[in-house]
Order: sequence, then structure tokens, then C-alpha cells
Amino acid sequence: MIEFINFYLIPGITLGSIYALGAVGVSMIFGILRFAHFAHGDLMTVGAYGALSAVWVLGVSPWLAMPFAIGFAVIAALCCDRMFYKPLRDLPTIYTVIASFGVALILRSLIQVLWGTESQVYSSGFQKPLVYFDTIRIASRHVQIISATIVITVALHLFLTYSRAGRCMRAVADDASLARVAGIDTDNIIRWTWVIGAALAAVAGVFVGLDTDVHTNLGWNMLLPMFAAALLGGIGKPLGAITGGLIIGVVEECVSYPFFGESLLSPSYKSAVAFVIMIALLLFRPQGLFRGRLL
Amino acid sequence: MKLTVLASAVLAIALGSASAYSDEVKVGALMGITGPLANFIPPILNAARLAEKDVNDGGGILGGEKFTLVVVDGQAAAQPSVDAASKLVNLENVAAIMGGLSSGATIASANAVSIPNGVLQVSPTSTSPAMTDMEDNDFLFRIVPSDNYQGQVLAKMVLEEQLSKVAVAYVNNDYGVGIAGTFKAAYESMGGTVTAFEKHEDKKNSYRGELATMASSGAEALVVIAYAGGSGAKIVKQSLENGFFDRFVGTDGLRDDLLIEQIGAEALATTFFSAPTSPDDNPVGEIFHTRFDEEFGEGSDKPFVDQSYDATMLIALAIEKAGTTDRSKVRDALREVANAPGEEVGPGDWKKAVALLADGKDINYEGVSGSHEFDNNGDVAGFIGKFVVDGDSYKQIAIFK
Repeated sequence: MIEFINFYLIPGITLGSIYALGAVGVSMIFGILRFAHFAHGDLMTVGAYGALSAVWVLGVSPWLAMPFAIGFAVIAALCCDRMFYKPLRDLPTIYTVIASFGVALILRSLIQVLWGTESQVYSSGFQKPLVYFDTIRIASRHVQIISATIVITVALHLFLTYSRAGRCMRAVADDASLARVAGIDTDNIIRWTWVIGAALAAVAGVFVGLDTDVHTNLGWNMLLPMFAAALLGGIGKPLGAITGGLIIGVVEECVSYPFFGESLLSPSYKSAVAFVIMIALLLFRPQGLFRGRLL
Repeated sequence: MKLTVLASAVLAIALGSASAYSDEVKVGALMGITGPLANFIPPILNAARLAEKDVNDGGGILGGEKFTLVVVDGQAAAQPSVDAASKLVNLENVAAIMGGLSSGATIASANAVSIPNGVLQVSPTSTSPAMTDMEDNDFLFRIVPSDNYQGQVLAKMVLEEQLSKVAVAYVNNDYGVGIAGTFKAAYESMGGTVTAFEKHEDKKNSYRGELATMASSGAEALVVIAYAGGSGAKIVKQSLENGFFDRFVGTDGLRDDLLIEQIGAEALATTFFSAPTSPDDNPVGEIFHTRFDEEFGEGSDKPFVDQSYDATMLIALAIEKAGTTDRSKVRDALREVANAPGEEVGPGDWKKAVALLADGKDINYEGVSGSHEFDNNGDVAGFIGKFVVDGDSYKQIAIFK
């Protein structure tokens, strides 16, 4: 049992935290701008490399480099919106979806040109995990990632519930035309969406780098589970996306635990779990756990 | 308006380059520039570039035409490699393809593109046993020995290190499945015990679950058959952190400088690796390595540099021998320039080789990484080295033929 907690559950929650932070942006952009943003994974990558530059140049820890990560990703997101998505906003959303594929390739190629294609780490070597009560072993970076995600979730909840911008965002996600009639400045809301979505993606990207390594396909590889998490939580529901991300991360890690002596599923099928959850959900509960918008 | 100007500029560049490049012989280089093999690529690509330069400095190919490598990125994965190879064959109209690197990339691109289109493909690095028996109409070659052989040598190395019980973690692709299978069979037939044999998917963030299960199987060491940049380095790191294993055995995919960068040399002091290598008493090898380092500053000792040069050079010689870029004639010429008999030519002997071919003589290319005598399956015999960590890179401590 203790093995289950140490080597399946805690890594699962860590992975889930990363999916969760990425999925918030996917869900909000889907809810407010009405399109599936396929470049979101690459915004994560931009964030991870932003932090890497700060680590290299200033020699600070990746945690102190976080503002640089967020800055890089937010600027990238706002520029992409201005240059590629805004001109397409009045056309059917499929144009923007396809454009976001292109943006994903542009971002990744720029990263490859600027930082190279080799994978990098924030710091080399390895650390022994912390041991609690002689049984629970948890890597200190996992403690940090999980607690940071909790703090961010609470902050996000407070922002969406009590700030004016947050309330407007929820209104636009629920019904854009009604919100516009009510006098909400949608352009401003769109900017807020990009800032929050990109900032959280950047944080998630740095977390991936902290947990494993930084490479140019880092975000792209996580895109599918992030979409599954956003759908699971309900489109346009940021807290739903966080719940969805945690569920997918935990399930993905835990399915290979030998519950009944045998592995439930060979570890080589881990990646399929997000697919299966996504398909089952679209069939049986298309509005997601938190009653998001229907696609 | 701005857009129109930009578009016409792009068009002008495209047309301009098209006309400037009409008198050249193009060969594709299918590389995994991004993805799990990214760290291996710069020296491998430099080696291919050096072969390209040798041909052009030696007077060009097919009576003075320019020999050009067209480099594409297959991400060391199946589907992107198929796309990249089909770009080479259908758009760039290459005479032959050098690559891919990972077995999965090579097998997929050969099956979907090279074989149906009748294009010669020579891989410098793909070791999967599955390539031997492919129905390839003789279009697929490689210049490293099959993992049928590396698996046996690895089993021998592991037993020589007094390890009689090991667990095997292998990546679920053509490379991992191939060598893991041959290693297991050879190791067990020599008296070793495989306590756990677990396949895993590339690109995941945590392998702790699988590793915990394997650690409880009573193995003395973990055999990691994976690319360091894909899952290998994470597996080693997570094993060390959690105390699952402290001793590792790796194959060529793990022998990446990246592993030492990420883990540190101290923790890898007892780890050893098997990998295809070049013969150790080859005088042309030393000359080649000096030339390489003069040209690029460093990197001649990196994995698969020799093989990449040889594969590119063999393709160039085959085109010269065929006297045309006709793809099946190039394929037919490859064995003639690579295999004995014939006058021996080596790396950097391009002028001599061209002169011999012009006189109608038979040539036999003896490369940096071996003599490359292709059998009926397009395979070669070769050498496997045993490597250990030395500072921030690797050194070879034994060689098996």
C-alpha cells in the first residue's frame, strides 16, 4: 500500500498538477474565445525555456526564474493573439483552430532556433527524497509543485469569484452575446484570458522542467491529456479543468499498479488512458463534470 | 499590401533557389534533429557534411555536379519520419536517403516511402533485428550490426561483471523491443536470470511505478534499453533518487552525454554500456578523426560519427558508380562499391575512387567504422564496444568482433 502512495499516487498528483495548470488555459480559451488552442502546449515550452534563460544568465533557482517564464509566455501569447488570432476572429472558428496549429509550429521552431534542440535540465544531479514517518517518501520538488498548485488554485478561485475581471470572464464564458449586451469590454476580457492562460501554462512548463527535463517537445507531448482534462472538467470552467487534470494525472499513473497481483494495465498503455477518458466522457457526459458549455 | 510584398519575396526566393540548384545531385539525410535523439545529432550531421564536402572538394559527383545533402527532421519517431522521407522522395527528388537513425524511424520510412518508391536507403545507426528480414526489394541497407549480435555481446558483458540476476526496462519501439528480446534470450541461455522484463512508453514524466515493481524482483542491476533523451535518463534518475537500483547497464541509446549531464558522473561509476563501434586498429580512423576535429573543433569521438560519414560516402560512391541518379541503378551499384573484390578506397579518397571508376575498375570502400561488406539482407558484420563513463563523456574499454 505504501508503495502505491509513494510511487504511483504522489507522482500521479504531481503530473496531475501540471496537466491541471495547463488545462486551465485550454478551458478558458475554449470557453471565451470558442476555439481549441493547439499552441497551448508550446506556450508551456516557451515558459520553460524562459526560466531556463534566467537560470543560465542570472544563476537563480528555477523558482526565482518563474517571473521570466511567465513574462515570456504572456508576451508570446499576446503577440500571437494580435498577429494571428485577432484577424481571424470574425471567421468561423475552424480557421483559428488551424491557425493555432501553425502558431504551435512557429513557437516550437523559434525555440529550436534560439535555444537549440538538445534537452536541458535546470540543475544536474539527483536528490534523495524526503522521508516522513519512515514510510512516506516524497521528492522535495514534488512537495513544492503540489503546494504551489494548491496556492494557485485558491488564488484563481478568489480571482474568478471576487474580482470584477474574473466575474466578467465567467460571464463571457457562460454567454458571450449576453455579456456584451451587458456592457462588458470583451477585448479586455480576451486579454485577461491570454494573460492568465499563458501564465499558468508557463508555470506548468517550469514544473515539467523541474520534475524531469526541458526539451522542445515538452508542451506538445502534454497537449492531449490537457485537452482531455479541460473536457473532463467542463469547457469554460477553470476549476473543473484543475479537477480534470488531477484526475487524469492520477489515473494515468495508477492504472499500472498491481492491485490484484497483476498490473491492471501494462505501463506501455499509460498514454492511452487520457484518450479513453476523453472518449467515454464525450459519449456519456459531454458537458463535463462541472457542467461546462457543450461543444 | 504588406502581405503581398512578403508573399512575392518568398516566391522570388523559392524560384531563385530552384534555378540555382538545377545542376546538383541531391541525397536526403533523414535525421532526428528534435526528439529523443536530439543530443546525438550535431556531430552525426557534421560527419555527413564532411562527406558532402569531401565529394565536392574532390571535384564533385557525376562529372562535376554538386553533391548536396537535403537534411530533414524525422523527430526519431515513426510518423514524422514517414512525412519527412516522403518530402525527400516526392518534393526534393533525392537519389537516395541516408538515415533514419532510430530503428522505428527507419523501418516506418522504409516501409511507407523508400521501398514502395524504389529509393535506396542506408541507415548509419538503426540496429533492430526486424530490419534483417524485411521485404525490402533490396532497397534498405545499414552499416551497423544487427542487435541480434549486440544482444549476445551485452549478455556476455553482463555475466562477465558477475551480474547473474538483472531486470530489464525497455522502450516500446522497434529498437527497444528488438534488442531487449535478443538480450533476454542470450542472457538466459548463458545462465543468467531476468527477474523482470518491463516495456514502457517514451516521453512520460514518471517511471517510478514500474521501477518500484522491478526493484522488488531481486535484481542486482537494471538494464536500461531506451534513448537517454526519451526515457532513459529519467529512469536512471528516478531509480537513484528512490533507491530502486544503484547499478545500471545501458545500450547505445543510453550512451548519450546528456545522461552524464543530468545524473553526474559519480553515480554512474559502475554503469557500463554496449554500443556499435569502429575497429580499434584502423589507421584511416585516426586520420579521419583528426580531420573531423580540425573542421568542426570537436566531436570526432561521439557516437555514430564514423557510421554517418561512411553511409553518406557509400551513397555518393554508388551514385558515381551508377553514373546516374536513377534510383534502382544506384541501389544496384551500392554492393559493387562496398563489397570486395575491388581496389580499396577509404575516407577522403574521393578523387582516387572517381578516377578508378572512370577507368572501369572495381572499387571496394573500406570505411572508418568497418569494411562494410553487405550480405543479402543489406546487413553488415561489425564491432561492439564496451563503454564506461569518463569525465563528461565515455571511453571504450573493450571491443568485441
